[in-house]
Amino acid sequence: MNFSFQLILRDIRSGDIITLIVALIISVSTVTSIGLFIDRLQLSFEQESASLMAADRLIRSDDNIPSAWQVKASELSLQQAENTSFSTMIFAGDALQLSQLSAVSDSYPLKGAYLVDDNLFGTGQSFTHPPQKGQVWLSSRLASLLNVSIGDQVEVGEFKLTVAKYLVRDPGSSSSAFAISPRAVMNMADLASTQVIIPGSRVRYALLLAGNRADLENYEAWVTPLLNEGQRWRTPTQKGERIGDTIGKAESFLLLAGTLAVILSGIAMALASVRFVKRHLMQVAVLKTLGATPKLLIKVFLIQFTMLFFIGVAIGLAVGWGVQALISSLLSGLMATSLPEPSISRLWLGVATGFISMAAFCLPLMQRLIQISPMSVLQPSLKFEQNTTVIYSIGFIGMYGLMCIYTKGFLLPSIMTLALVGIGLVVAVLGFTVFRLGRSLTSGSTSGWQIGFASLYRRLIPNLFQLLVFTLIIMLGLILVGVKSSLVADWQQQLPKDAPNHYLFNVQVDQIDHINKVTDQLGVVRSDWYPMVRGRVISVNGESIQALYPEDKGEPEIYERELNLTWSDTLGKGNKLVSGDLAADGLSIELRVAQEANLSIGDKLTLNIGGNIITLPITSIRAVDWGSMQPNFYLILPKEILQDYPANFVSSLFISDNNAQPFYKVMSQFPTVSILNIGDLLKQIQTIIGQLSQAIQLVLLCILSAGGLVLLSSVRSTLEERLEEGALLRVLGARKALVQQALFVEFGALGLFSGLIAAAGAEASLYGLQVLVFQSQASWHSLLWGLGPLIGVCIITAIGLFASRIVLKVPPMHLLRDF
Amino acid sequence: MAVKTAIKVTNLTHTVTANTGDLTILNGINMDIKEGESVAIVGASGSGKSTLLGLLAGLDVNTSGEITLYEQAFSSLDEEQRALMRGQYVGFIFQSFHLLPSLQAIENVMLPVELKGDKNARKKAALLLEKVGLSHRLTHYPNQLSGGEQQRVAIARAFASSPKILFADEPTGNLDEGNGKIIIEQLFELNASQGTTLVMVTHDNELAKKCDRQLVMSAGQLVEKY
Repeated sequence: MNFSFQLILRDIRSGDIITLIVALIISVSTVTSIGLFIDRLQLSFEQESASLMAADRLIRSDDNIPSAWQVKASELSLQQAENTSFSTMIFAGDALQLSQLSAVSDSYPLKGAYLVDDNLFGTGQSFTHPPQKGQVWLSSRLASLLNVSIGDQVEVGEFKLTVAKYLVRDPGSSSSAFAISPRAVMNMADLASTQVIIPGSRVRYALLLAGNRADLENYEAWVTPLLNEGQRWRTPTQKGERIGDTIGKAESFLLLAGTLAVILSGIAMALASVRFVKRHLMQVAVLKTLGATPKLLIKVFLIQFTMLFFIGVAIGLAVGWGVQALISSLLSGLMATSLPEPSISRLWLGVATGFISMAAFCLPLMQRLIQISPMSVLQPSLKFEQNTTVIYSIGFIGMYGLMCIYTKGFLLPSIMTLALVGIGLVVAVLGFTVFRLGRSLTSGSTSGWQIGFASLYRRLIPNLFQLLVFTLIIMLGLILVGVKSSLVADWQQQLPKDAPNHYLFNVQVDQIDHINKVTDQLGVVRSDWYPMVRGRVISVNGESIQALYPEDKGEPEIYERELNLTWSDTLGKGNKLVSGDLAADGLSIELRVAQEANLSIGDKLTLNIGGNIITLPITSIRAVDWGSMQPNFYLILPKEILQDYPANFVSSLFISDNNAQPFYKVMSQFPTVSILNIGDLLKQIQTIIGQLSQAIQLVLLCILSAGGLVLLSSVRSTLEERLEEGALLRVLGARKALVQQALFVEFGALGLFSGLIAAAGAEASLYGLQVLVFQSQASWHSLLWGLGPLIGVCIITAIGLFASRIVLKVPPMHLLRDF
Repeated sequence: MAVKTAIKVTNLTHTVTANTGDLTILNGINMDIKEGESVAIVGASGSGKSTLLGLLAGLDVNTSGEITLYEQAFSSLDEEQRALMRGQYVGFIFQSFHLLPSLQAIENVMLPVELKGDKNARKKAALLLEKVGLSHRLTHYPNQLSGGEQQRVAIARAFASSPKILFADEPTGNLDEGNGKIIIEQLFELNASQGTTLVMVTHDNELAKKCDRQLVMSAGQLVEKY
């Protein structure tokens, strides 16, 4: 067999190379498992959210969707459905009611399901098909208003349809939750016969698509340039959508977790590679004296590292796959739906991690080994002239690059890098001061304290490095714990279990007391009543909307349609004043619509309210949490202006499952009141949030375990010197207890300081992450300040003492012979 | 027939840079070592013995002057070529043995033979270990051997590639008297049987006396030759 291979095989057998392989496997498997798991979660979020949108992707249009777009979708084998919705009168005998009617194709919904019932005001069963030709489904409210029941006929335009079911929820209705007219759905095949759509009708067309991600991405690339201002491409996880923001934050968390996994893997590789160099320097020098040429050594190491790469990456990918499968199966018991399979293509991330780790750590290391002078065999003082700074710098750059690839951006890696550099400096200064102080305070008497601090100070650089590694690992863990806690708390706060799940609309002022009474009897939690007056913005700073947007296309939402206006003296739940004064005599506008229409304080809006023209300046801007499920408004006007207009009132309520039937029954006394049930939508969102919380906890556990492994290898990396010293102490007659005490002091001090610095670092990083990445409010994490030092002292001392136990058990001669 | 010169040293000077400035380790050394000759380099600690040995073996590059091994000047060679020269001409025995801890005794001995590309490495190594009395220890690892046994493995390794010149740095320095004697016997026996040139750094007068010549180093210079 070739000499190089023989040398490699012997090296593998010796176990030295195993440390490197294990580090590589930890790196590759951590990044792979997190990457794959994130992929599965993302796919799952998309699927869950898709069921709220009835499709994977959707094109919304004010005009008919060009047929070429459907042809293209067919070419890409995408599933398609159509939904045409509009307001129309529905007649039943003498009764008539303005309704929001959707005409849908047979394949609708592509994702999710209708909720329909055979009983009026029933809670509904899932139904994945739309009404058949000739049938219509009416909401219970609409059926009550029209006084029809199942089997009766209603007229839509020129066509008669039979009521077949009561519609509880339409899967695509989440984004139009505030549609006030009662809803109805019919089959697209009957639409032409109704003749209700004529040129000029205000109609929303939607082409719904579903299929695999690559085809959808191809389609998006093809169709996006063709969209005009009245057309929108929508994805389920789009920002601004209620669930989109939640998922966005979870993805940021997982991305952060993955980035921290990359840093952990870097630390593992750095430790292993330095250990490898240390143990191989003399061997290489001896080989050189025996005639091994640099060329041969380069060949040996290149083959060795290539083999290492393939073995480490293959095992790492397999372990990573296994770990994510394990996490997913653990999670499957907690999740309502099973996670979709991960895409094999995501494995490239693990391969890239392996490659960059090898290139960043092993190649500089190889150069270092090859440069060793054979003379160091005769003069061992030459042996340790290795410049680890270069190795670490190259490794650091490699890891930064990997983080950038991983997060597809620079912000997160840069925050983390700055935090790492800052921590490095703090560790160096603080560590030096404390070790030195400890040394001088304990000098003089022979005790575990004195020996412990003496060895901390004597091996200052390796100890500072170890302090840094401990600090980083604990800090990474604390950051994740901190982010996880605030995210989960944030979500739970956002959607408490008793979040409103019903809205009451069209309530007249004289009905309020009566409704309050009956809901109070049922023990229902209700928000305040908000008056609603319809009005339309007709000009901005004296310029008419028609002049500004002559083609009626692409105008901001606030100008596009009639708005619900209200008055209020106080900030509602989920509202935050961004600027201005709510009590001033002017308009209060919601932040997002103000940004979309480029409006700021002082701009004047002219409104048409019931035929009266009123001009008011904007005097305050509010940020509104639309996820709070409270009634919220784009524009709030002064009470004195609105109070004389006929207003109807809106409120939101939480109706528990037990209360649903009695509630609907008492509400049938108020046939003119509209009830909007968003309970299922909320349940779905709560399920997703529940899944996210479970998922990130498991990811956290996974990263912390990897951190524990790296911690262990970090202790091992300096173990030899500690064992040698312990053995010497015992040869000199030291009792076991003294050696134990010295080790306890050494590891305890390292643990305590790393825990404290880690808590400070985590607090600082969390501030940056909360403000810049998660865009949430920064908060203080007192838990971390207790947890950090506690973990530091307990875990590091335990690992250290456990790893060093051999020095107390084995006769010192055995140990000394090995050095 | 005239005896060949194995090593020729002319005006050898070696300087290293230290914190305090340049430090001259070796200064103006001239000497010839004939093929088959055994030479002991003696002197006080820090006199430059080991540095001289390393330079003679081509482990480092001297600052000025010339060293030639079988008429091949080291100064004209790069590290690659010097390594090839070492593989071809040189064997080593070190004070602290320097066996590779990850290799068995026999594998340590096979190393230089394999480096030469010889297919019969295992056979040769087994034979040499038998000669040094370790045929029962072939598959032991260095940490399973006593100091004396480790040095005997090192001797076997040094002779395994049939070197023309053997460099030994304090070969008995880490051994007790009994083991030291065994090592010396085996070293000189193999040296005689293979006709190797032996250059040895030692503090041991008895050992030095066994050599054909003794060179005494003091403060980087050769002060006596006898």
